[in-house]
Amino acid sequence: MNKPDHSRLQLNRRQFVQLISSSALLAPGLAWGDALAQANAQQANRDPAYQNLQDPWLTIDEVQQHLLPADEQSPGAEQIGALRFLQTMLQAQNDPQESEFIQQGVVWLNQLANKQYQADFKQLEVAQREKLLRQIETSDAGARWLSSLMTYLIEALLSDPVYGGNKNRRGWQWLEHIPGFPTPSADKVYFKLGAHASSRRRTKA
Amino acid sequence: MSQNNDKDYDVCVIGSGAGAGPIISELSKAGKSVLVLEKGPWLHNNDFFKDELACCRRSTYTPNLQDEQHVLEEAGYDGQWFSEATSESGWDFWNGNVVGGASNFMSGFFYRLKPQDFRLKSEFGEIAGANVVDWPISYDEMEPYYSKVETEVGISGRVVPHKFQEPRSRKDFPYPPTLEHPVVKVIDNACEQLNLSSLPTPRAILSRPANGRNSCEYSGYCGSYGCSSGAKGSSRAALIDQAVASGHCELRDNSHVYKLKSDASGKVVEALYYDAENKPRAVSAKLFVVACHAIETSRLLLASTGPKHPQGLGNNYQQLGKNLLFSAGGSGTGEFHYDQLDRLDVDGISADALKTRGPFVNRGLQDWYFIDDKAFGGPAKGGLIDFLLRHPNPISRAMSVRWNSDGNLNWGDALKQDLKSTFTSAQDLRFEVFNDWLPTDDCFVSLDKNVKDKYGHAVAKVRLGYHPHDLKVGQFLADKAEMVLQQMGAKNIRSSVSGSPPANLVAGGCRFGNDIKSSVLDANCRVHDVDNLFVTDGSFMPTGGSVPYTWTIYANSFRVADKIKTLL
Repeated sequence: MNKPDHSRLQLNRRQFVQLISSSALLAPGLAWGDALAQANAQQANRDPAYQNLQDPWLTIDEVQQHLLPADEQSPGAEQIGALRFLQTMLQAQNDPQESEFIQQGVVWLNQLANKQYQADFKQLEVAQREKLLRQIETSDAGARWLSSLMTYLIEALLSDPVYGGNKNRRGWQWLEHIPGFPTPSADKVYFKLGAHASSRRRTKA
Repeated sequence: MSQNNDKDYDVCVIGSGAGAGPIISELSKAGKSVLVLEKGPWLHNNDFFKDELACCRRSTYTPNLQDEQHVLEEAGYDGQWFSEATSESGWDFWNGNVVGGASNFMSGFFYRLKPQDFRLKSEFGEIAGANVVDWPISYDEMEPYYSKVETEVGISGRVVPHKFQEPRSRKDFPYPPTLEHPVVKVIDNACEQLNLSSLPTPRAILSRPANGRNSCEYSGYCGSYGCSSGAKGSSRAALIDQAVASGHCELRDNSHVYKLKSDASGKVVEALYYDAENKPRAVSAKLFVVACHAIETSRLLLASTGPKHPQGLGNNYQQLGKNLLFSAGGSGTGEFHYDQLDRLDVDGISADALKTRGPFVNRGLQDWYFIDDKAFGGPAKGGLIDFLLRHPNPISRAMSVRWNSDGNLNWGDALKQDLKSTFTSAQDLRFEVFNDWLPTDDCFVSLDKNVKDKYGHAVAKVRLGYHPHDLKVGQFLADKAEMVLQQMGAKNIRSSVSGSPPANLVAGGCRFGNDIKSSVLDANCRVHDVDNLFVTDGSFMPTGGSVPYTWTIYANSFRVADKIKTLL
């Protein structure tokens, strides 16, 4: 019997969203839609799932690749399907606030990028990206946004591939992890079982 | 208005976990009509997978905290109590809210209490600030039911005589031990050198097929996961499935009971609940049994006011919800680095053997279940040490390196190096210490005045005070466990003992006893002044002993089932 860990230090997401909407997250001078309106023409040779990405997903993908870069020995965010996983989760969780919060962070990030480098995040060099992300980490809201992305990234790396991440079990293989069995089929993913399934039924009543 | 179009059942059971299963099974077998109301969904063996998101990172088997939660009250530095709703803190206090309850998610490591645990006050005397009492029954009265659990639920193990072995009516377990991890050889060697009795851990997991259930498939993921083979002795797989098949038991899932209605005579007449479509309903029965996990049982009875019970059922002497128990102690870890295995101080074990996934680390120590040590301060109740590998959940393991030593988020190449190292360089052998959580006036359940659940009913508020003696015992045991890891040649040994309560090991709140003024239940677990109401989960325990509660909860429920049979 495992005595479970619990993390009481973690602010919950709603407190987090309050932080976002109330604080200096949105730097003055730039309207909400400005960053979103900027088209993203840069499309390199990518996994088909990643082609024609638009912001905010384009920038989230770039941030994910910065946080979990690929190298010769090991997969990075794109190779494990981190963006697809994140999108699957946001859809499954059916929580508009969470989804809005993740996307809002991109607006804020690009505003700061433009203020400091007169360019969007996606146009910056690796060193500039690192500096910018470490800078936003010093604010509560920025740290929580990054922390959230990191959590989804780690889940994408090591959860069952049925959720869209850990593509071809590359996360498990890289870390020599031995998974258990049986593994879930697409019709038995967690959000089609148990409390999730029944709470949906109940909200309709 | 609640609809009540149902027939009159012999027994209505609220909850379906370890405290409910034996009642459901035994009364169905006796031909009584049994209705089970379970707030959670009915998942079956083929709904359970080794899916870390499902088991451990999303609320799949427990309510969304926005819908249903707890308020937890902890002591601040200045002696004030601070309360915080769990939807705010994120400290989820639910266990398993599905058919079979939390018994679906245990790792099934099972120990009996010992005769002295039934008379702790007589054996060791009072402890200032603690409400230690003797139980109204003896070990001898419970023993036949401990034995019954071994066959009915299915316990695998091997009896090894030792100085604190409790009496047994059956010579050995009905099922041989589950397969064992190679690391047990290293544990056994170290214990032999230290002159300790390394004991095989009994498990409520079938080591061979029986009663329509498969044997364990040794996937290596057990605790926190629902069992897909049916080998784990959950209340659902071991007891309820057969009761339903008998035709005498009807089970309604997604049925949340919010009040037991009592009449002018004080007897319970109806259970009021919300069905799967959120509609209020009522059902009547001759007799009611509540077993919905200690905290929720106290909450339901507190909410069930009536003409003869203005402060809740069984609360006319303000005992309801009091003397809540957790398990005291802590845990520790030692590391075996694969590149240093030749330096182990014991017989070698290869890296490949250490990496084995599947079999159980079936070893525990009871050498200090009772302490007689001048360094400690004379004879005292001690506890149990249990060994286990680090839980194989990879996401939780990876999350342990998400912060760097500067307290910043870890990312990029540094994160990848840390991930590679934490996953591939060492095996962690852990231990857990279990000792008594002394009952005190600072650990109890009440109804919160502000926070409601989605149905509009007050949630349970839990004060989480502990007795400092618990930490003293826990530390004594943790030091002994560290000594064993040291002997094994483990590196980077550390442990932590605290008063932080594990939410999955809860009992008390409706202690049983002979005096209505100091207990909620009588010796048969009937509410003192409610003729047709029984409580059969862990709530009845006045002291908790120093082992996980589940075997005792199962056994007591079988015992009460025999009492109820004589009434119907």
